[in-house]
Amino acid sequence: MIEIRWHGRGGQGAVTSAELLALAAISEGKFAQAFPSFGPERRGAPVLVFNRVSPNSPIRARVSVAHPDIVIVLDPGLLYITDVTSGLKEDGILVLNTPKSLVEIRSELSGPWRLAVVNATSIAREMIGVPIVNTTMLGALARATRIVELDSLTEPILERFGARARGNVDACRKAYEETETGEPAGIVPKRPKIFEGEELPTWQELLPGCVLTKPGSARQYRTGDWRSERPVWDHQRCIKCGICYLFCPEGCVKQTKEGYFEADLYYCKGCGICARECWTEAIKMVEE
Amino acid sequence: METLAVYVPRLITTKEYFAPGHRACMGCGEALAVRLVCKALGRNVIIANATGCMEIVSSPLPYTSWEVPWIHTLFENAAAVASGIEAGIKVLRRKGKYSKKPKVVAMAGDGGTADIGFQALSGAFERGHEFIYICFDNEAYMNTGIQRSSATPFGASTTTSPAGKVSIGQATWKKNMPAIAVAHDIPYVATACPSYPFDLMNKISKAIKIEGPAYIHILSVCPTGWRLPADLTIRAGRLAVETGIFPLYEVEEGKYVLNVDFPRLRPVEDYFKLQGRFRHLTQEVIAQIQERVTAEYTRLREKAARVRDNE
Ligand SMILES: Cc1ncc(C[n+]2csc(CCOP(=O)(O)OP(=O)(O)O)c2C)c(N)n1
Ligand code: SF4
Ligand code: SF4
Ligand code: SF4
Repeated sequence: MIEIRWHGRGGQGAVTSAELLALAAISEGKFAQAFPSFGPERRGAPVLVFNRVSPNSPIRARVSVAHPDIVIVLDPGLLYITDVTSGLKEDGILVLNTPKSLVEIRSELSGPWRLAVVNATSIAREMIGVPIVNTTMLGALARATRIVELDSLTEPILERFGARARGNVDACRKAYEETETGEPAGIVPKRPKIFEGEELPTWQELLPGCVLTKPGSARQYRTGDWRSERPVWDHQRCIKCGICYLFCPEGCVKQTKEGYFEADLYYCKGCGICARECWTEAIKMVEE
Repeated sequence: METLAVYVPRLITTKEYFAPGHRACMGCGEALAVRLVCKALGRNVIIANATGCMEIVSSPLPYTSWEVPWIHTLFENAAAVASGIEAGIKVLRRKGKYSKKPKVVAMAGDGGTADIGFQALSGAFERGHEFIYICFDNEAYMNTGIQRSSATPFGASTTTSPAGKVSIGQATWKKNMPAIAVAHDIPYVATACPSYPFDLMNKISKAIKIEGPAYIHILSVCPTGWRLPADLTIRAGRLAVETGIFPLYEVEEGKYVLNVDFPRLRPVEDYFKLQGRFRHLTQEVIAQIQERVTAEYTRLREKAARVRDNE
């Protein structure tokens, strides 16, 4: 049995990809599962989705995948904010969407696993017209792991996407052709911690009735890694009115000593409301 | 548009009682509404919150975004729990066992208010508890994935009122919850929207002082469920008001006051255009909705005018 973990962001279609992969495997006569991990995270937040594929026996396991054979990452930014290789088996493979070459990625990220890279964002932009890479990455996955035949993916994609299917099939095929694979080497980079400061309490330490005694403890939780764009302030244009502060749904815009405003990037989700509502256009959203 | 006072942090508290680190979608208008409501409520409150997006995103054990006493209730009983807290405080005070007087507040989504928590709410109004009930109306059951509620507007596509070849989306008109609250003869009813933040916070401050039930209905733009780019949340709320689809008004002791009025309303299409949930609407249906919005707005204006004339 082969176990797969997908890393994407809410809204990027990782759940759909996993389902399409399972359908493709089933069409080849294999057994397969696809399911997301269920959490309160919303659009833009890092999400996990799982597959199991077994060539000849039914799959009994119903739990999430802790030790995947394959990890596939839809969003290049996730590499630097979540531990994508957590639990990945030593002989496993990491399939990445990245604009970087295999050599560059190798110097940044390493471990005993094999690597496969493809610039899925650029392929999706070209073939589908939008940077949604879920179907594109299916092509990369097929190439890097041979878990299903490329042709088996076509039918499920056609069925799921109807009128928009053609671009998705083409993107999937193009990624199949362009995926580079190789062995990683080098040093493992330091990864930022998701949780700062305190450890999570154990279940024995929680009070009965789910009583929480530390007000505002969610402040520990980083939502800044949901962001794909960040707001940048131009002090020349700012009249220090505070509208950006007022409308931020996170309450993470702060006033500096000089009276200007800035976002606390630990929380800023990059929604762009501050930039849209600033009447002097002092705020620009720039890609992370 | 409401005059936006300059130097905002000098006008309102910079304290955040709804802490960041909550897991609402980026650009969530409901999270912004809660943040502003909490600023206006201050520390001296106890909040009972029905399940729904705001409860789920703010309290994944062991974290909480709340900086004030807050209790999670079931879907159907936020108003009943708030009633109990209010009654309990009253008794404890009478017996001299408790001297503080926190304001009791119940919160729920439109599903938790107009459908599932409706009878508990009606009961609490009728018994006259001294509390504020706040409905965060994002016009569907968003937490579970965009199912229609009775507060979903006519023509909106949701997962349980999908637009298609035959269906135009939601086939019924939005339930008028503020009018139902008014029909209970409670002392204070108001509508609000975070796109008009000072109006919203003023209404909360007013509701705190009311002896008896107060009901505040807040239109909370949901970029995820409305299929709207996240940065347009504030603009969409403003358009809902400027088109007359969601007028901002207060009803104090039965008297209507229109807080923001326009010599001419914008066409409803300006509001629909932004949102994927209305993308399928034909000109014919839009005209039908326009007619109804105009008629309802005119009626509201007349009610407000009658109050003005009598004073
Ligand atoms: C009795 C009951 N039925 C169903 C649910 C599942 N459920 C939890 S939240 C939710 C939707 C909440 O919708 P709404 O009140 O409109 O709030 P929103 O999430 O849109 O803010 C549902 C159906 C539940 N918790 N309890
Ligand atoms: S809204 Fe614009 S002008 Fe006003 S404080 Fe923010 S950045 Fe400055
Ligand atoms: S983009 Fe602006 S409004 Fe949105 S979360 Fe970041 S700071 Fe707040
Ligand atoms: S689904 Fe809508 S209301 Fe719920 S957190 Fe997301 S944007 Fe906010």
